[in-house]
Amino acid sequence: MTRLIDIITQASRIMTGLSFLVLMGAVILQVLGRTVLNYSPVWTEELTRFALLYLAAFGLGLSFRSGDLVNVDIISEALPAPWPKRLRFLGAATTALLCAALIGPAWKYTSIGAMQTSPALLWRMDFIHASVLVMIVSLMVFSALRAVSILTGASEGLAQNRMEEFQS
Amino acid sequence: MSLLILMSVFIGGLALGIPVAVTLGLASAAYLLFSGIPLVVMPQKMYAGMDVYVLLCIPGFILAGNLMNSGGITERIIRFANALVGWARGGLGLTNVAASMLFGGISGTAVADAASIGGMMIPGMKKAGYPADFSAAVTAASSTVGPIIPPSVPMIIVGALSGISVGQMFLAGAIPGIMMGLAMMVTTYIIAVRKGFPRQPWQGFGELGRSFFGAFWAIAMTVLIVGGLMTGIATPTETAVVASVYALFVGIVIYRELPLKAVPRIVIDSAISSAAILALVGFANVFGWILVSERIPQTIAETVLSITDNKFLVILLINLLLLFVGMFMETIAALIILFVPLLALAQGVGIDPLHFATFAVLNLMIGLTTPPVGVCLFICANIARLPLWPVVKAIVPFLITNIIVLLLVSYVPAFSTWLPSVLLD
Repeated sequence: MTRLIDIITQASRIMTGLSFLVLMGAVILQVLGRTVLNYSPVWTEELTRFALLYLAAFGLGLSFRSGDLVNVDIISEALPAPWPKRLRFLGAATTALLCAALIGPAWKYTSIGAMQTSPALLWRMDFIHASVLVMIVSLMVFSALRAVSILTGASEGLAQNRMEEFQS
Repeated sequence: MSLLILMSVFIGGLALGIPVAVTLGLASAAYLLFSGIPLVVMPQKMYAGMDVYVLLCIPGFILAGNLMNSGGITERIIRFANALVGWARGGLGLTNVAASMLFGGISGTAVADAASIGGMMIPGMKKAGYPADFSAAVTAASSTVGPIIPPSVPMIIVGALSGISVGQMFLAGAIPGIMMGLAMMVTTYIIAVRKGFPRQPWQGFGELGRSFFGAFWAIAMTVLIVGGLMTGIATPTETAVVASVYALFVGIVIYRELPLKAVPRIVIDSAISSAAILALVGFANVFGWILVSERIPQTIAETVLSITDNKFLVILLINLLLLFVGMFMETIAALIILFVPLLALAQGVGIDPLHFATFAVLNLMIGLTTPPVGVCLFICANIARLPLWPVVKAIVPFLITNIIVLLLVSYVPAFSTWLPSVLLD
């Protein structure tokens, strides 16, 4: 289980980082093209937008894991034990269920894109619309993993940042 | 009935500790199901909310701030701030505020400011004999200056929501940010005199000059960002990416404190923070679309305007509502949900959108330091190893100060609109 979580986490981190690098590269090319190279490709703006969508898609599950996807825990964490842990489970399970319910609609939205192409890069838009699907799947995987780890007693269900706070 | 379900699920989800973005999605999904609207609207509206060119600068500015912070800039900023104002009564408190103002020029979030400055200043102040509660309070309060002074993630979000250019938004925040910082310095000084806090010895112009050159590259980044936007040489996204490359260069080549092997982790962590903000924008766009389709902005505007169309009162009402919401809700989520409805009301009484946007952001930043949900308050209390209550008591004078500045900015539009009109028109 731990090995599986590590593989999913590392793969997501690599894809998030790659999306960011594509975004940075396209913008740098845009700036250099305009100022130094005297070459301004029309597709850079489109590529940066697509890279941002995939950055959000691959990074969302990780942000749930790290605690960057903030929640208001003033009530839930102030309750007597074992309620905070139960509510953390509820939060993770509800997130996973919402995402599961959204997979079908996200797939449908992705399919709609097959009929369109992007104006500059001429890419099929279903590949770009799929970023929302990836986003929902990413969030579902990490929230389901947290729910399962709470159920099996493998973790207390705290986000990574919160665990570091407790350890510091 | 559908609207009741939307609000019940939203408030219930927040109370149960479900992530804010997910709660927005959950409430929207419940509304759509109850209203018989296909759920495919959700991915469609999420995509539309995130596919906005202005949002592209968020990861760039977050990365630039994180690279600078990991590259040894925080110590240099604090050293310069200390040489500049540390000699006065309560010098370390003043240093704390001045450092937050300088740090605000390279970082777009208050949380980064509270964690970075607080991590160094709170232990240092405690060691120098300052009470721990005051040390945490002054750090938390001054960290809210960060997102007012450009660059600012909340200002970028407002730009995306309202269509106001990010350059205008950034410049609109400059004077209010400086006012807020200076006002907090005055408050710190008054508290220091009354409580007899220590002062640092004057370190001389030599140290002032040396520390300035040490912090120069960080201060230059603020100039690079503001200059890039003012001159129109670069778009906000380009400015953000250039600022990241600049921060990387300064950290590795000039300060030589940024290990190359740490860069991939910083890049990915910055992307993850950005992903959380973008997801919030995406889910909130569905929620916002529902509010608009239910004519909530118009209803709010019409209801308030039927009671009063007095501009003075409307500004007061908007501020009271935002302060109240800011006490309980995460800032960016509150901004995304409330900005459009309240903008309709503000424009109904003739408030300039740029002016409204500035005081709305300033107001919600104050919420970062108010109980029960004040992220910066939690961070600083945690660093000071104190329970929340003593820090809450110690922050009251700073809250009053910030509210006075908020009222000034709210009732004198020139504080926010003058600089953009002079520099960008």
